[in-house]
Order: sequence, then structure tokens, then C-alpha cells
Amino acid sequence: MTEALVAENVRKEYGDVVALDGVSLTVESGEVFGLIGPNGAGKTTLTRALTGTTRVDGEVRVLGDAPDAVDFQRVGLLPQSFSPAARLTARELVSYYAGLYDEARDPDAVLEDVGMADDAAVHYENLSGGQQRRTCVATALVNDPDVLFLDEPTTGIDPAGRRALWRLLDDLAAGGTTIFLTSHSMTEVERLADRVGLLSDGELVAVGTPASLVAEHGGTSRLVVRTDAGTDAVAGAGFPVEAADGELVFHDVDADDIGTVVARLDEDGVGYESLVWRQPGLEEVYLRLTGEQFEGAEATAVAAGTGGAR
Amino acid sequence: MSRARRVASEFRAAWYAFVRRRTAVFFTFFFPVIIILIFGALVRTQPTGGGIFAEPPGYYIPGYLAVVVLFTPLSRVGSTIARHREGNRFEKLATTPLRRWEWLLAQTLVNVVVIGLASLLLLGLTVLVTDAVVRVTPALLLLGPFVALGVAVFCGVGAILGYVTESQDGVIAASNTVALPLLFLSETFVTPDLLPSWFRPLMALSPLTYFSRGVRALTYDPTAGDVGLSLAVVAVLAAAFFVVGAYAIPRTD
Repeated sequence: MTEALVAENVRKEYGDVVALDGVSLTVESGEVFGLIGPNGAGKTTLTRALTGTTRVDGEVRVLGDAPDAVDFQRVGLLPQSFSPAARLTARELVSYYAGLYDEARDPDAVLEDVGMADDAAVHYENLSGGQQRRTCVATALVNDPDVLFLDEPTTGIDPAGRRALWRLLDDLAAGGTTIFLTSHSMTEVERLADRVGLLSDGELVAVGTPASLVAEHGGTSRLVVRTDAGTDAVAGAGFPVEAADGELVFHDVDADDIGTVVARLDEDGVGYESLVWRQPGLEEVYLRLTGEQFEGAEATAVAAGTGGAR
Repeated sequence: MSRARRVASEFRAAWYAFVRRRTAVFFTFFFPVIIILIFGALVRTQPTGGGIFAEPPGYYIPGYLAVVVLFTPLSRVGSTIARHREGNRFEKLATTPLRRWEWLLAQTLVNVVVIGLASLLLLGLTVLVTDAVVRVTPALLLLGPFVALGVAVFCGVGAILGYVTESQDGVIAASNTVALPLLFLSETFVTPDLLPSWFRPLMALSPLTYFSRGVRALTYDPTAGDVGLSLAVVAVLAAAFFVVGAYAIPRTD
């Protein structure tokens, strides 16, 4: 595999604010790399550094060249909050960007790919938010890029459209396109990315496959019980328990342990509305590593049972 | 060929974006018309030997044309840049083969077409409403290059204003601040003898002065200026402002 994207010790400051603080990463050719992080963490700045649309300290290479020296025929970008000319139709917009390249795909075929074939003749300003975003995605695909930067591509797209777009990105990745994706949707990143990077306060605090990040930082599975009871009512349950927002959360509960907890609740006479068992995911990784975990529970008592089944 | 394809694509998009903004189209043509109606028909030229509008109607043809050659490119290119910045369009264009000067060339060509049409309308209306007489000679064909190069000058200036200001509101304010003094202090509507003697040399600093002199010599009074020299100065200024304007177009944040 060759390196499609390389960032080495990239630093960017806006006045006194450090947007990127020595970020280094490599994205291999054909890889889908997902970048997650809170608002203001530096995701868009890193995307701009990689596309050469902001000047940074450090070294950046795209397909082996500096971002401003790369063959633009091979690069596609969907910027964050991208808003093209409102009174062009979807077809005219995609055709416009197609006209900027020596070689481009048939605009109608690209619109078909993003599910916009039926609305190709509608002015951009008259499209729904999701249709607008899909049209914008089409403008990034029209030159059939080898490296595709997508900054929050599915914002505003309905679930069906989002899944259709995910399938399209799957196909692109299967065809060898390198995809650099930023998103606030953990489901999306977990679904699409081969590897994930987590930015927090301008620093890349974790990089790995979704599974490895979850295994390392996601914690354990848990059982969430919707109840008015407090932690005192289940003392000695054998699992760490915390109470928050009308819920008791039993940590370290494997699927096989659910019956044990339910039996214990019955024994203790604890009534409940519902039970939900959750495995850790990228969202837990995100919350733990960005320090945003369980903010709502900080004011409540946290109790760990002793004795019991485990 | 690739370059022509890119410029043509940008031209098409910019043209559609303009002609489909009906209010923009309406006011682009209505603004100069109302200027003529106010100053040419309502106030009327009254040669009395002194004061403003004391010259024969033909004297003011360059002034009427200057209204569109000056105002329209300044505000259009400036606000287009502001819109592109607000929509992160330059960020995307920076990752395409389109060069900044190609973008400005396409925008300039759109303005040349729009303002060329507006100029024809103005010229006809001026003759119709103000009784101005236009000298019809083969040299009158040079009016086209004067308008085109004048538009290029102010497209370049508009690009610079778009770079300096950060919003469409800022562009409008800056455009008016630049355009109004130029419009009245460039031998257009106000004759040099109405201005203090110390100020007159400063009129040579305005690009619009050379446009006025050349157009006036073509359409009204052959002794008003050296057509060739005026055209050459406007051409050099057009090239200079185009280069600076193209360089000013944002590529990064």
C-alpha cells in the first residue's frame, strides 16, 4: 500500500487559539479514514490543511505532493457548509464542476449515483436540505477522484438517503478511492471507516480501527434500567451501578449476566419501565476520550455493589 | 483547450447565476436609466455659462456610460466574491484545476456582456431623451474596447474590494465609497473648471478620467482627448488591476 495522505507535526494557530497542535497521521491508499471530535476540535482545519486551503506549519503530502502541487484531477472535496450558486439546477451545478476538469464523468450518471436523477432539473435553492447535500456530494465525485475529502457529507440527509450515500461510499472505497471523512455521526464513521482518528482540542488523541478503539477505550457492555429507584435499592447487585436521569446503569454486564441482574431487581422489589442492554461503541470512545462522558451523572451518587453474582 | 473549457464553464455558471436573479438584472439596467431620466430629462442640460450640467447634452455621454462601467463591476464582482467566501466556494475551487485568474476572467467576460448591453441601452436612451448627438465615425467602433477595458479595470478593483471586505454589506459600502467620488471627479459630469485648481492634477489618478476623455473624443468632441493614449492607459490599468484582482481572490482562509 502507498501513502495517499500524510500529515507530520501539523500545527495551526488562529491568534491565541491553537486549532491543530502537532497532528501527525497517515492514510493509506484505498483506505477510508474517519475523523471525529467535538465542535472546534480542529477537524475542518485538518481537512483544510490536507487540501491546501489553509496554511499550516509542519508537512502535508497528498498523493506524494504538497497539497497545492497535487494533480487536482485526482482530488475531490466537499467542504463543510458548502453552499453553491442557488439558482443553478442540480444538473447545471454538477456540469459546471465537470467543466473545470479535463476529464469528468457524465453529470447525469453522478446525479443518479447520489439519488438525484429525478430532481436534476430543479434549482438548488428549491431542493430540500438533504437533496442539496446530495447534490454537493455529486460535485465532489464528478471528476472521479482518487482521494475524496468529505467534511460532514450527510448533514441534513434523511436516514434512507444517508444509507444510500453510505452504499455509494462503500462502492467507491471498494474501487480503491481513498476517503477522508469527518463526521459527528458515530454510526456513520463506525459503518464506513477502516480507521478512525479522534481529535480533541487540536490533538489527535487516538487512532485505530473502530473495533480496536472500542476495545481499548469503549469500556464494557452495560444494562440500562429505566426506573425511579436509586442506587441504594440495588446495593450488592455485583456490578458497578450509577444513577442518572431516571436510569440505573449497570456496567460490565455481559449478555449472559442480564438474567442475573433482572433476578436481582425482582428480589429487591425494584420496579422498572424498560431494560436496554448496550454494547460499547465509538460513541463511548468519543465520550471517554473527549472528557464529555456522563456529564449529566456527575451530580448523582455512583455506587458499586459488593458481593453477589460476580 | 482545457483552459478555455474551464473559463467557459465558469462563464456559463456565472451567467446563469446572474440572469436568474431577476432583481439584480432589473436594477443593473434600471439604475443607469433612472440616472439619465433624472439628470438628462428632469434636471435637463441648460447651457447658461456656469454651474453643473451647463454643457451640451453630448458632453455627458461618457458620464452616463461610466455609471454602468464603474458601479456594476465593482458591486457585482465584490459581492460575488463575498458570496463565494460565505458559501466556502473558493475552498472547493482551490482543489480544482481552475486558476484564480481564470475565474476572474470568466466573471469579467460576464460583466462585459451585461454592461455592453446596458451601454447600448444607455446610448440609445441618451440620444432619445436628452437630444444628445453622437458623432458617427468609424472610430466609434472603439467604444466597444473602451467599455470592455473599463469593465476589466473595475472588475479588478471589485475583486480587491471583495478581498478587503468580509461580507456583502461590506462590499456594498466599500463600492459606494470608491465609486461615488470617482464618478463625479473623473471629468464625467463635473467639468474640471468647476474644481479647485489644486485638485485638477489629482483627476489624472482616476482610471475613469481616461475612459471619459476617450469616450468623449469618440462620441462628442474630437478635441476632448487623445483617443489612442486614453485607450492605451485604460488598457494598461485594466491589465494591472486584473492581475492584482486575480491575486487578491481568496484561495486559502
